[in-house]
Amino acid sequence: MATPEAPQPVHLDALGPRGPYRTRMPSAVQDVTGTEVARLSLVPPVYVTRTLAALRKAEPVPTARVDALFEAAAEEFATGTVGGLNVHAYEHLVSRTCGTPLPVVRAATRGTARFVALARSSAEQGRPRGTLADPERAGAGHAIWARRGDVFAVNASGNHPGVHRLWLEALALGYRVAVRPSRREPFTPHRLVTALHGAGVRPDQLVLLPTDHRAADALIRGADRTIVYGGDDVVARYAGNPRVLPQGPGRSKILVTADTDWRRHLDTIVSSVADEGGTACVNATAVLVEGDPAPLAEALAARLSRLPGLPPQDERAVLPVVGLDRARALDSYLRFVAAGTRPWLGGDGIVEDLDDGSAALRPAVHQVDRADAEPLRTELPFPCVWVAPWNRTDGIAPLQDTLVLTAHTRDRALLDALLAEPTVANVYVGDHPTCWMAPGVPHDSYLSDFLMRSKAFVGAL
Amino acid sequence: MAPEPPAILDAGPFDGVDPDEFVRASMHWHFDPATGSRYWLDRAGRLDFDPRRDVKGVADLALFPDLADELRDVPVTDLVPCGYGRDVRPVNVFDSGGTTGAPKRVVQLDDLVSRSTEQVDLRLRAHGLPTGTQWLTVAPTGPHLVGDVLQRAARSLGGPGLSVDMDPRWVRKLIAAGRNDEVESYTDHLVDQCRRILSTQDIGVLAATTPLLERFAREDDLLERINGSVRAIVWGGTHMDPDTRHLLATDVFPDTPLIGMYGNTMMLTALLERVGVGATEPCVFDPVSPYVFLSVVAPGTREPVGFGERGQVIVSHVSKSMLIPNNAERDTAVRTRPVDGQAGDAVADVAPVLTVEGDRVIEGVY
Repeated sequence: MATPEAPQPVHLDALGPRGPYRTRMPSAVQDVTGTEVARLSLVPPVYVTRTLAALRKAEPVPTARVDALFEAAAEEFATGTVGGLNVHAYEHLVSRTCGTPLPVVRAATRGTARFVALARSSAEQGRPRGTLADPERAGAGHAIWARRGDVFAVNASGNHPGVHRLWLEALALGYRVAVRPSRREPFTPHRLVTALHGAGVRPDQLVLLPTDHRAADALIRGADRTIVYGGDDVVARYAGNPRVLPQGPGRSKILVTADTDWRRHLDTIVSSVADEGGTACVNATAVLVEGDPAPLAEALAARLSRLPGLPPQDERAVLPVVGLDRARALDSYLRFVAAGTRPWLGGDGIVEDLDDGSAALRPAVHQVDRADAEPLRTELPFPCVWVAPWNRTDGIAPLQDTLVLTAHTRDRALLDALLAEPTVANVYVGDHPTCWMAPGVPHDSYLSDFLMRSKAFVGAL
Repeated sequence: MAPEPPAILDAGPFDGVDPDEFVRASMHWHFDPATGSRYWLDRAGRLDFDPRRDVKGVADLALFPDLADELRDVPVTDLVPCGYGRDVRPVNVFDSGGTTGAPKRVVQLDDLVSRSTEQVDLRLRAHGLPTGTQWLTVAPTGPHLVGDVLQRAARSLGGPGLSVDMDPRWVRKLIAAGRNDEVESYTDHLVDQCRRILSTQDIGVLAATTPLLERFAREDDLLERINGSVRAIVWGGTHMDPDTRHLLATDVFPDTPLIGMYGNTMMLTALLERVGVGATEPCVFDPVSPYVFLSVVAPGTREPVGFGERGQVIVSHVSKSMLIPNNAERDTAVRTRPVDGQAGDAVADVAPVLTVEGDRVIEGVY
């Protein structure tokens, strides 16, 4: 093994306004084989309540210092020994507990550092041109960019370390931020929050609040704005709540029209499905092809079938790993959803038993016979893709409800329709995988659309 | 065996009677056709042992099957021992919370009400509770035991009791249905009522459920009032995890003693936290000999767990007016040695079990 395992389980304390807080009975964090690797302090609701009150009283991080603080924290996050873990030990733990391939975790470390360092300027990208960030400079007839609240909460997921890139923008915009980590992957936010504290963000400006579900409700109720990651149930639950921004399944898609030869874009399609271990909301769930989808499905299956099933901490790992029970549950769910479709890969099972209580999830490629087939909505946490025929008569309805749509087409009118479609969040054209992201480019609109408003400010100070 | 003198059945909670002797006398009372209740006399024929012969002390209460489920349907008048005479009527009929299915019903006769109040009073005084001061009790009344216990305790300590009622069953229904906004509105409604009292009355003792105390932590004006005037806080009715207890004691109400009360309907009284245990140590509840006996067992086998280990709480209530032996509660706790050589176990860090006979336990503001 490349990195030696820590001899004792790591303690991940809550990071509260008065420093680290350890509960009497910390909860076990297990790796994919069920071995305890860390102990996480889950705070009770009254701790959440008191912490939110402290955040509300605290000053924002001073605007003038944000860039320097974030750059220092990014460097520390990517290279330092934080909370007793050097970067290799940290990456090893994330890989072992989330089952994310180690190379993916490493790339995410570098990516997150880049996003953190640039978070202020990324947030600035979302500012309406009619507003000024600084009221000192606002003259007659101007507007300023103002926060909608003071406290921002993050109810994070653990599917990919990159989840913890966006909330830095809230901190840069002057929000005080409470991060509730995934119980499966608390390592990344713990490291990032600790690094930011080390760089000078005060503990009453940014906290890490691991909780159970009861206290999570207290967090969402008590914050002014919350971003919540989860499944369709989460999206439905908060759909009517203007203070909550749900981040559900991405249902990212690829479209190939008849004027384009998919063979020239196969690399992009494979990357869209399988990069990042296939677990991100920006991984492609469906490929829609104008014409016969079978040749594309066959070629895609051939490429994906070569991916090796390896323990997540292996240098060559590319596929996600989960506990064997969960792998079998996902396998039987896929079989249920895929009934009646044409399997090109994974039809006889996606579980590759690693003989240590865990299993790699092998890719699956299924062909459906209609662009509106029900399985297209099923997004699973591994490279699992549905290939469907698409015709002009189908229109853009089958392309709706999409986080990232990569279009291989030369049809300008179609592109205009996609850009105008409200339920398609992002449109990439040509050889840009659905999972491409960069600082300053919106992920699901700019976060500031949810956090900020424009306010007229007339007269002099 | 010589006939037991019935006088022992009238013993008070601190008279120091031998608990085994008390249990034997109780068996004769409850299973003698001349004195027992219709329920127990009828049930005796379906026991595979003879309580009057085989139950020789506290430990033998484990011979009884867990019959508490039958209390969901039994007519309450059938629970009154006929040795009290034809005209006796229960002072109180209490329902279990209904956390786990239909409520179970128990009765309290006049003598037991006095005994219960006496022991609660004595233990609260041992905690140094002020006397003659006003109480605010925020706990469910009506079919629920806890509100009655607290209001009687207030009177016993010479404090006029102000109160805010609550309906825990409705809250649990809301939680089960995922209607969290309505739970929140209901809690707001309770807090509003408390605010009116706390802002106009001089309250010396506050008795409230854990979720209400947690909720007060969000209300700066209430905290100011409570920390300014309240001299003791009694919590009960629901569990309190050790972290919450520590935070409430050290951070939210740093200058006010926080006294735990653990009771449930099948006990027919409430146990007060052991005196002299700090906020960083586990909260221990001792039994009340000779009426309430506790044991902590492995859920599957009902064998006692070791001292210091967690298991399911088994409660037996034995008194002249009621017998509820060997009832598995919806609680887990750490098995602890009781003080004063009391029979059975004491319990520490009481927490909910996640499932009781398949139903998920749902707690609310109660």
